[in-house]
Amino acid sequence: MRAILVPGLIVVFLLGSAPAFAEDVEALRREVEQLRKQLQSVTERLLAIEARPAPPPAAPAGGTAPAPPVATTPAPQAAPPVATAPAAPQAGPAVAPAPPPTPALASASQPPGGLTQATQPAAPAPSLGDYARPHQPFALAERRGPGQLLFDIGLSADLVATLTQRNVEKAQGGTFPGEENRFFPRSIELGLFGQIDPYARGVVRIEVGEEAENGEHDFKVDVPEAHLTLLTLPWNTQIKMGRMLNRFGMLNQIHEDDLPQTDRPNVLTRFLGPEGLIENGAELTWVAPLPFYLEALLGIFNGDNETAFGRASLRAPLATTRIRTFFEIDDANAIQLGVSAATGETTEKHRSTLVGADIKYKLVPEGWRHPLLTIAGEGLVSTRKVDVSGDLDRDGTRLRGGWYAYAEVQPWLRWAFGARYDWTQYPVNPGSEWAVEPYITFKPSEFLRFRLGYKHTERTNRVTGPDDRGSARLVDEIFFQASFILGAHPTDSF
Amino acid sequence: MRRLLGLALALAAVLAWPGPAPAADRIRVVATINDLRLLAEAVGGDLVEADTLARPAQNPDDLEVRPSHMAKLRRADLLVINGLDVDAWVEAIVVGANNPKVVPGAPGRVDLSLGIPVLEVPTVRVDRSMGDVHPAGNPHYYLDPGLTPQVTATLVDALARVAPQYRATFEARRQQFLDKVSAALAGWTRTLAPLKGAPVVVYHKEWAYLLARFDIRQVDTVEDRPGIPPSPGHLVQLIQRMRDEKIKVIIVSAWNDRRTAERVAADAGAKVLLLAHGAGALKGTDSYFDLFNYNVQQLADALTPR
Repeated sequence: MRAILVPGLIVVFLLGSAPAFAEDVEALRREVEQLRKQLQSVTERLLAIEARPAPPPAAPAGGTAPAPPVATTPAPQAAPPVATAPAAPQAGPAVAPAPPPTPALASASQPPGGLTQATQPAAPAPSLGDYARPHQPFALAERRGPGQLLFDIGLSADLVATLTQRNVEKAQGGTFPGEENRFFPRSIELGLFGQIDPYARGVVRIEVGEEAENGEHDFKVDVPEAHLTLLTLPWNTQIKMGRMLNRFGMLNQIHEDDLPQTDRPNVLTRFLGPEGLIENGAELTWVAPLPFYLEALLGIFNGDNETAFGRASLRAPLATTRIRTFFEIDDANAIQLGVSAATGETTEKHRSTLVGADIKYKLVPEGWRHPLLTIAGEGLVSTRKVDVSGDLDRDGTRLRGGWYAYAEVQPWLRWAFGARYDWTQYPVNPGSEWAVEPYITFKPSEFLRFRLGYKHTERTNRVTGPDDRGSARLVDEIFFQASFILGAHPTDSF
Repeated sequence: MRRLLGLALALAAVLAWPGPAPAADRIRVVATINDLRLLAEAVGGDLVEADTLARPAQNPDDLEVRPSHMAKLRRADLLVINGLDVDAWVEAIVVGANNPKVVPGAPGRVDLSLGIPVLEVPTVRVDRSMGDVHPAGNPHYYLDPGLTPQVTATLVDALARVAPQYRATFEARRQQFLDKVSAALAGWTRTLAPLKGAPVVVYHKEWAYLLARFDIRQVDTVEDRPGIPPSPGHLVQLIQRMRDEKIKVIIVSAWNDRRTAERVAADAGAKVLLLAHGAGALKGTDSYFDLFNYNVQQLADALTPR
């Protein structure tokens, strides 16, 4: 009997409460509808406000440069705040420092580490409407704030002007063949980089630059870098894979706009090509467990570089290795040493091997923000077999090499003076060349640089241009370079 | 084939070599700047072996990455960063150190700026025409001893992630340290209390937290834009303003352009005051307490009317 009574009572209760339940559902529905309308209204108002042009920051007293208004974030009022309101308008960025409170030290005023405690103003998350609307560049990056999953974006531009003799222009025998007596954008590079996930980091660089071919000047789009690095491998190893500037020698992995001089040293352009060694493959690095820095690298690549290799197949891959170490002699003096090797096959299926050594020294006096003196140099030896008639080395083997060295003095933060000396043989053809290149660099800020240089080159053989037009043995060139960076802050490396 | 096998075995042996034995299994902490290293030592005591990437006299805002930094970070169990972009260079070191314990997202790294009340957060879009501004706000919070409770609480959590068995020890040491800081802060506050509201000019805006803590008024900067040498026009206006408002002190750090500051000070009838931008930056500022003792005393001496 009880077994029937209990379910019966439950059914009666449910039936009795059904109208009230239905009413609740209806009320909830109305409430949700009302909230939805409110949200829509707020969204529309927000979009309208965002669409208005931002008022310019108030010009500070005296007509100095506008500066960003800044606001201190509200501090928890554990104690009366120590007010330090500025009495007068400031020349620099306006500061309204509502200073931090004086928390009772015996008890932590806030729970640790919670993101909710971060007192930076939280940027509103972009809505679908935001994404759909047209944006000025970086408008999305502008919204970056706590909780946003965005990568870093940086853009660098490198503009070069050259002046040289008429015969050098005709022969296209200058440092930038075909670009003599021109102002040209050598490299405009968009860099995207960041964490892919907890285990890997990714870098993609897309480059546009002017290239001269058959007297025509066209823009060429290239992807010099698109690689990922696995960061969490065991035994202090990492693997970098994709398309990359090989870590071969000291300057090969340096981008055009970041080179210590306007041009790459002659020995590198002669043996690795004007763009250096850029390959598709993988590099494994290991940092030794020693008190000083010692990094070893092994790499396997296609061998696409036609100047040095060119086989372009993993059936006969290009193998690279590099060992780099670094010593801080004291707080002011430091030195880096490296040796590199690369071996692969040429398009004619002959072995080609490059061995290099590099050294770099810097003097940074205590308390200085920049080096006072930098001295660096790199040497390269190449051995390869070639198929040419009139072989001077009998068996077709070419054992050639070259080197460069430079010194730079930077007595002031913004100004640097230096000179580079080059000497190199030609990798295949007979002959050699030497060059000297003094230069002055002026950096108004970290993000803008101007460089003026002069380069004198002497060759043992004349370079003749297309259709035997002109010849160049003695070359004098003036370089002017302007480089700038937009976006992500560059990291200066030794 | 045998030669290849031998080479592979030798390589495997080298890779598997664990390296020198750690000093009594202590937690190896590497901090980006020296002040954070001192806090890690205060909380971790003899359980940690702490080192720093930027030397005390270096400008943490402008560090050149060196392979020696990577060698230090290679064996770290915990990486302590300041955050707010001042030590963003650490990412290049992390990539070169081949240490999975400290990569982004790993438990072995901590950003001590989490949870602190950040000063001077830009409220409008910033760009480089304003100089080398920090979009996330002023990063020099380590110069405010009043923020030690929050910063050390975050640090205890991080150390406990690496060595959970010592959490109670870390917390006890933190409380001992905070007791000392509390007593010292009371003394520093007493010393500077008569100078509340005193106006100063700073070369670079790295003193915001220190000055705000002790209610000293930062009126203007020698740099009209952070990180960019001041324009002559700005200096002329600054000198006039200092004369009009009777501002007698320009605060500089070791890497600021002292000559410019001294020229402005001479023309404005003021003096240049060199403060320590961090522990160990100047002689006699090696410890956490030495740093504030020195800076507070220097401020008191310079601002007290004679």
